[in-house]
Amino acid sequence: MKTKATGLLGGVVFGFTLAWARLTDPRVIRDMLLLNEPHVFLIMGSAVAIAAIGVRVLKARGARCLVTGEAVGWSLERPATRHVTGSMLFALGWTVAGTCPGPVAAMIGEGRLVGVPVAVGLLAGVTLQRMLAPRKDVEAHMRAAAAAGL
Amino acid sequence: MVLGRCPWYIAGPMLGVVIVALRATANRPLGALGGYIDVAEHITRRSRLGFSAFLLAGIVIGGALFRLTIGASSPSPSYSGLLPADPILQLGILVVAGFAMGVGARAAGGCTSGHGLTGMSLGSPASIVAAMTFFGTAVWLAHVWAWLTGASL
Repeated sequence: MKTKATGLLGGVVFGFTLAWARLTDPRVIRDMLLLNEPHVFLIMGSAVAIAAIGVRVLKARGARCLVTGEAVGWSLERPATRHVTGSMLFALGWTVAGTCPGPVAAMIGEGRLVGVPVAVGLLAGVTLQRMLAPRKDVEAHMRAAAAAGL
Repeated sequence: MVLGRCPWYIAGPMLGVVIVALRATANRPLGALGGYIDVAEHITRRSRLGFSAFLLAGIVIGGALFRLTIGASSPSPSYSGLLPADPILQLGILVVAGFAMGVGARAAGGCTSGHGLTGMSLGSPASIVAAMTFFGTAVWLAHVWAWLTGASL
């Protein structure tokens, strides 16, 4: 239960920040992809830089999770074909909708109901992908994702 | 309270801190896609909602909190100029776009937040490949689309 509360709280800060930085505006995403403004790249770059330092400090100090008590750690995933093909298909939807799974949730929270059809499509997509994926791929994928903590 | 768009040098570090905080408290990644998978499996298989679904619910609440506080007067974006104006056609395009993202991101094991932020910060080679692929493809597609429709770049 505490883990879920942590997720909820992290999501609230994440969603608030996405909305405040206007990443919930499809026009901002389209402008980023047209390389008209560096704003979104700078947000993502600085987020990755801060997180990269932070998680390494936690790991180096042998930190234990405040809620679960487990040691902070992760394993890395090796690239496979599905990372490329899946991401290309993802990019198609991202470019057209000008939003992606995180921002569209914050968009709906803001009362912008134009995000609802995107979320419905996402739910259908994740369900159908699992139905269509070959069995052995699914199992290998689940092991890899669990190992990477994704 | 009047505050404009959050500048990148505040928003970026805030997102970075969320990633570190989730790692420090629960050793879990920040990734929105897992929430959709969690919700979809809850609907189709009656599984219990876990961390990912609560994270996704939090994102919705965060967006609502923004709207109720400092975002009360923020402009409301629509897809005018980005997608065809016909409402039914627009609805169809958005569902299909969401569907493509759902299939693609699940195959790739993550989306912009899971691979692009969390996986990149952990230095996961799969995430670096995924993020380079979706950024490269999306930048290319956006330019092709703008060229085809005659929009100014």
